[in-house]
Amino acid sequence: MADQHKPSVISESGLPEPADAPSTGNGLSTISRATYLKEAILRNVFLVCACVAVAGVALIFLFVGFRGWPIFSKVGLLPFLGGGVWHPTKGEFGILTLIVNSMLATLGALALGAPLAVGTAVFLSEVANPRVRHWVRPAVELLAGIPSVVYGFFGLVLLRPIIAKFSGGLGFGLFTVWIILAVMILPTIAAISEDALRSVPEGIREASYAMGATKWQTIWRVLLPAAKIGIIDAIILGMGRAIGETMAVVMVAGNAPVIPKGIFAPFLTLTTVIVMDMPYAAGDHRTALFGVAIVLFVISMIFVASIRIISRFGKEVG
Amino acid sequence: MGPMRLSRPAARLLTLAFVLPAMFLTGCSAQSGAAKTVLTVTGSTTILPIAEVAAEMFHVRHSDLRVLVAGVGSSAGIESVTKGTSDIGTSSRELTPQEKTLGLVDTPVAFDAIAVIVNPANPVKALSKTQAADIFEGKITNWKQVGGPDEPIGVVNRDEASGTRDAFSKIVLGGAAFDSRAAVLPGTGQVRAVVADSLTAVGYISLGFVDKSVKAVSIDGVVPTEKTVADGTYPVSRKLHFFTVGVPSGLKKTYIDFVLSTAIQDKVVRDAGFLPVAEGRK
Repeated sequence: MADQHKPSVISESGLPEPADAPSTGNGLSTISRATYLKEAILRNVFLVCACVAVAGVALIFLFVGFRGWPIFSKVGLLPFLGGGVWHPTKGEFGILTLIVNSMLATLGALALGAPLAVGTAVFLSEVANPRVRHWVRPAVELLAGIPSVVYGFFGLVLLRPIIAKFSGGLGFGLFTVWIILAVMILPTIAAISEDALRSVPEGIREASYAMGATKWQTIWRVLLPAAKIGIIDAIILGMGRAIGETMAVVMVAGNAPVIPKGIFAPFLTLTTVIVMDMPYAAGDHRTALFGVAIVLFVISMIFVASIRIISRFGKEVG
Repeated sequence: MGPMRLSRPAARLLTLAFVLPAMFLTGCSAQSGAAKTVLTVTGSTTILPIAEVAAEMFHVRHSDLRVLVAGVGSSAGIESVTKGTSDIGTSSRELTPQEKTLGLVDTPVAFDAIAVIVNPANPVKALSKTQAADIFEGKITNWKQVGGPDEPIGVVNRDEASGTRDAFSKIVLGGAAFDSRAAVLPGTGQVRAVVADSLTAVGYISLGFVDKSVKAVSIDGVVPTEKTVADGTYPVSRKLHFFTVGVPSGLKKTYIDFVLSTAIQDKVVRDAGFLPVAEGRK
């Protein structure tokens, strides 16, 4: 750029300097003025974009908090979080059962889905030749693009009757939810784990092979430990997806507000109670649902915070 | 250059912004200007689908008449018609002894019968009302306790927003609590689909939605059919009422007669899962 003093004006004040443009009268400054205007507009557009995201989180948090807070003072924080009976139309607002059920659903889905996803990531990054990878990776990515209601419908119509047949029940329950959720979190965990594996420097692989290690030894003893932090991040993100999943779960969980006796019995979770009850809930019941939303919000904040802490820890170690 | 290019779409937008609301405004005023006569129908949310669709069709036939329908619950409907704030009060329950003294005239508009459904392959064909209640309360948990195979019963319940659940709870369970371990599904279609493909399942749906994929069991020895519902022998049913102060006359009579006509009874009432009231009732 010819006039090097102008950009510095923008970056310092954030505003274009239009006053001198007509007075100098040369073409250069007229063009510059338009450019500054464009630059300034763009800067503000991006600022607005960032603000919308932050404002969205803040607004949702404030709104949910504002609407849900009364239930803590009405029922009490401990009876609300620690109470085992959820019977809102009879005035019993204990969500411990729902918290336990959400955890059961999430942990089981992780136990099934995480090994599968990490295995997929290892396959894509270390084993597959480019031609196979060219087909497999889009297929895995496509899993992430399937709407959750389609997973739920698939589970309800196809998976549930099969499970009903061999379990002798209705086919609703933890087992069905685990399978659906495991497939749903697979692309999230696989994509991030693959990135983590790929970011392991090539030299480390070569060093391992140079020491006489086999491919399996290299993967198991060298690459997975080296990419450990990224894989843990991936699993926590998958956990966040699993615990927050609603539509797919509501269709195959069976929605009974009890801790299920066995993995083939219906159960209700933190997310599904909101979608089941919201259409008709009124008064304290509605407030309690916002209370449940606060609990979900806090859980996902814990997940995000733990990812940040683990990542920082990983950087210090690495 | 820039401003010139922008100005045309902008002008178009501006025009739209002014013209569209104006069109809506004139449209509304034209409608409200023509349909001056208003009939208000408030009450049961169960009856809402009938009353609302009937009101729309009624307005199509009589463009100068408008019927406003609101679902506020049966008790509120009865109260509002008694107080005169609405012309017709709709109710899915009978009048209490105290309400019977208020001089309300009852016009039944449909039957709401609820069938207890099992898988067609299930050998159980009959249940007593008490057995049905015990199953849904979780006291009977195995089919062999009611003469079936030695299999656990898979109870399918509806969500609490459901009018069918409300009616079933009142008529069969007598207000007792449902078994909280039962699966809760948010729709008649889902209950029917699950019972249709699970051998051990039992559920309940409005009789109008029973099809060949499921089997409706008899209750206290009476098989639910349109006939047994109409003659009052099938125990799990209730009438849906229109209540008016005094014998309906004028606009009220016109609307009620329309609801009782075959156009509504055979189409709208059946589509909503209810059964038409006996023929020839006017």
